[in-house]
Amino acid sequence: MSSRPIDGDMSTGTGIHNRPLVLSCSGISKSFLGVLALRNVFFELHAGEVHALVGENGAGKSTLMKIFSGVDPDYAGTIHIDGQEIRFASVRDAEAAGVAIIHQELNLVPELTVTENIFLGREPLLAGLIVNRRKAAADARVLLNRLGIDLDPETRISTLRVGEQQLVEIAKALSVSARILIMDEPTSALSPAECRRLFTIIRQLASGGVAIIYISHRIEEVMLLADRVTVLRDGCHVITEPIGALTQEKIITAMVGRESLGTTPGSPGSGGRVVLSVRDLSLDVSTRRGWRTVLRGISFDVGEGEILGIGGLLGSGRTEILETIFGSSIGRRSGEIRLDGEAVSIASPRDARRHGLAMVTEDRKAQGLHLLATVRDNIALPSLGNIARFGLRSFASEARVAEREVKELGIRCTGIGQIAGTLSGGNQQKVVIGKWLATQPRVLLLDEPTRGIDVGAKQEIYELIFGLARGGLAIVLVSSELPELLLLADRILVVSEGWPRGVLSRDTASEEVIMKLAAPRTRTDSARAT
Amino acid sequence: MRVLRLLSRTKLYWGLALIFLIGMLSSPVTSKGNNIFLSYGNLLDVLRQVSITGLIATGMTGVILTAGIDLSVGSVMAICSVVCAMLLTMPGWTPSAMMGVPAFALVAMIVAVALAQFTIHNLARSTISNEVAPGKTVLHPKRNLALPAIVGLIAAAAALAFTLPQVESQFGVWGVLLVTPCVGLLFGAINGIIIVAGRLQPFIVTLAMMVTALGIARLTAGQNNAVLPVYTGSNATADFDVLRSLIFGIFPMPGLFFIAAALVYGAVLRFTPFGRYVYAIGGNEEAARLSGINVGRVKIVTYAISGMLAGIAAVLFVAQYRQGKPDAGAGLELDAIAAVVIGGTSLMGGRGGLAGTFCGVLIFGLLSNILQLHNINSNLQLVLKGLIIIGTVLVQERNLGELLSNLRFAAPRSVPKEPAAHHGQPSESFSRQLGGSAHDT
Repeated sequence: MSSRPIDGDMSTGTGIHNRPLVLSCSGISKSFLGVLALRNVFFELHAGEVHALVGENGAGKSTLMKIFSGVDPDYAGTIHIDGQEIRFASVRDAEAAGVAIIHQELNLVPELTVTENIFLGREPLLAGLIVNRRKAAADARVLLNRLGIDLDPETRISTLRVGEQQLVEIAKALSVSARILIMDEPTSALSPAECRRLFTIIRQLASGGVAIIYISHRIEEVMLLADRVTVLRDGCHVITEPIGALTQEKIITAMVGRESLGTTPGSPGSGGRVVLSVRDLSLDVSTRRGWRTVLRGISFDVGEGEILGIGGLLGSGRTEILETIFGSSIGRRSGEIRLDGEAVSIASPRDARRHGLAMVTEDRKAQGLHLLATVRDNIALPSLGNIARFGLRSFASEARVAEREVKELGIRCTGIGQIAGTLSGGNQQKVVIGKWLATQPRVLLLDEPTRGIDVGAKQEIYELIFGLARGGLAIVLVSSELPELLLLADRILVVSEGWPRGVLSRDTASEEVIMKLAAPRTRTDSARAT
Repeated sequence: MRVLRLLSRTKLYWGLALIFLIGMLSSPVTSKGNNIFLSYGNLLDVLRQVSITGLIATGMTGVILTAGIDLSVGSVMAICSVVCAMLLTMPGWTPSAMMGVPAFALVAMIVAVALAQFTIHNLARSTISNEVAPGKTVLHPKRNLALPAIVGLIAAAAALAFTLPQVESQFGVWGVLLVTPCVGLLFGAINGIIIVAGRLQPFIVTLAMMVTALGIARLTAGQNNAVLPVYTGSNATADFDVLRSLIFGIFPMPGLFFIAAALVYGAVLRFTPFGRYVYAIGGNEEAARLSGINVGRVKIVTYAISGMLAGIAAVLFVAQYRQGKPDAGAGLELDAIAAVVIGGTSLMGGRGGLAGTFCGVLIFGLLSNILQLHNINSNLQLVLKGLIIIGTVLVQERNLGELLSNLRFAAPRSVPKEPAAHHGQPSESFSRQLGGSAHDT
């Protein structure tokens, strides 16, 4: 694959190295609040190449792309474009240098037309004042034709399918005559047919000299499309190889292969009394185009003191499993949930709390905490009704509960009166866990409990989770970090595209097996998985 | 440093004191040399004048704390003033009686059921020990529905027994004081139910209610009744005058209602779980919902309370101006919102409180009073009021140090990200920033 025919004047060589280097960077480092997200990263991009960038969630791909596209001007290291050192201060700078990015979440204005979106902010003007609609439409048509996209430029974005919207994004990126195109997971929402069409267009662009950075989780796609592959892991550069020198297995090993985490597994891994039992859970979500299946046929049991891990890629339905059990997902739900053998109906988080369920959400700032409120108020919130006597709050009891959790979890704060938003990430996470432990739950659902937390605090959270399991709590854990999952979970349920793909025990689970099970399949073979 | 912080935290009270001082120093004097502004009569007038706005602003505070808004309060007060005046003056099944009596019975029933459930629930729970053993969750005791239902029916029957005889003749002061707020409460509750069930913007829903309630007020009053006069002693009972009198000859009745409402609602917000939930919803609704709080119910109750207080304000309006009319509350919602915001409650919700609103209302009232004492042109008064609102809110939202440092660093290239003044005590300014970003996401 690495030896595709190359344009005339550069065809003396066989590899991409003979093409001009458009972008190179070295020594890129970046830290967020003391957590190192990128460490001394090295990356090169040649004209006309499709360079795939792969890595697990949190490996640093998005951070690197934010630096390349000028979103994040605050980093260490140097970037050269066309041999000249450059430092983007804004997205506009990057655009001027010919770098365009297509984000995973589409950034189109749904109520505007294709043309209006393509030229948003750069509308061709008449006499410098009025939008030249005719010229805009004509230019858009030319652009779409060039890409072989069959779309009416006057249609509204909201009426287009996601795949078509993706193509509009590409057209938009190219309208600024981008020479470097960054695509972040462009196929995550596309059907197989749309994927093929997109690949054709990408190849076309590359042969036209555009350099493309292609980020994807789907290794098969990368094998099919890329000229070279760079793997990032934990913010570090692992390998850069031409595709011919790689196999799917090699890429996966490079992505996940790292020494195991320091802690010794302390969980009893008991097959104790079953506390939570879920049967045939399914969830459909209403969209513009009718019902979309999010979960199907999810079943599992969690025993007293057991930690069940749920693994899968972003968007595989991991979080939705927890949300559906907790009654916080919006959509059509079905299935059976039993607690201590008794069937329960949970229609809202309130019901869930009453039945002794607790959920630590993925996004602690948006969903877990009241950042302006004190540690005490945050911890006491879910238990307020139980703490109150005859409708009056008992400030003393609230303080006692909060003090207890602060002590038990080792939350480092100046006191329970400290504002939660001023705590460090790890301590904020402990506050969220503490507010649920204060309700004396039977089952604890944890969604990405160590997201955005530095290594030391992670270790503390791990100890904490083990401790809770030893105390008899049934725990369901969702994590996109495989080492974490392998370390903590007694069993791992792997989901992909909303379907269960298998349950692994401690002995059978490994990062490679999980990655294989978690990889998305084409629609047609979904059925056989169950 | 510490003094500055204290000053900054209590700036609202200093603002109130400042306005008071200005009023005192600039006040015209009588021929005998007495300060008019400081005279007892004048200060009572201020309290009387702010009471109606104050009651509305009290209800509005709860709504705004949940990050909502209630634009309908003016119109709800208008319809309630019509209902109140009609009940006082017209015997028989007038439209007002047909609206008010069932509303009263319904509200009496709901409140009685809620109280009964609350009592049963807490009695059942108080037998369980306070400290629950870990790993064991005590499920809430099953709700006994029969007893609350019976209590509710009794309450409804009592409400009807109380009001039906009055329908035949005319309503007394107790009658209107009970029935009118119930009408307002139902209007407020409808606002809340639509907002929660339809998942709609409070702005739109209450805007629609503002128009609708005004229409209903006009329909209720009838084509020829732009104003429904209430002459105590001739067409209404004389004891209604109690509501415009001074208690024990020293304190105006409307002021008592305002202060009582602010105290009670303030205590509810401070000392009950409900109050905590109001702040929690305003601070982060999603986190509140995921904490197992019945977000919908809390919101509906805040709107219902807002409507109820508008109803009480309407009764005081009728007493004070001796009339009920469909355009009674025009523009009142904006005065109330301004008072709440001056009082430091954030329109984004979750921050502020009734103490601030109380000050805001008084600042507003004293200001009008000072301007009136100086015989300033009423149009100019509006301009000045507008400027004062902006000025106060600016001082409220940006803390003093921040404003000063902005001025000081205006000339150089940029304002430092963290002014040195905040270095030692990050809590206030930092949490403000956090608040902003939390709402952005």
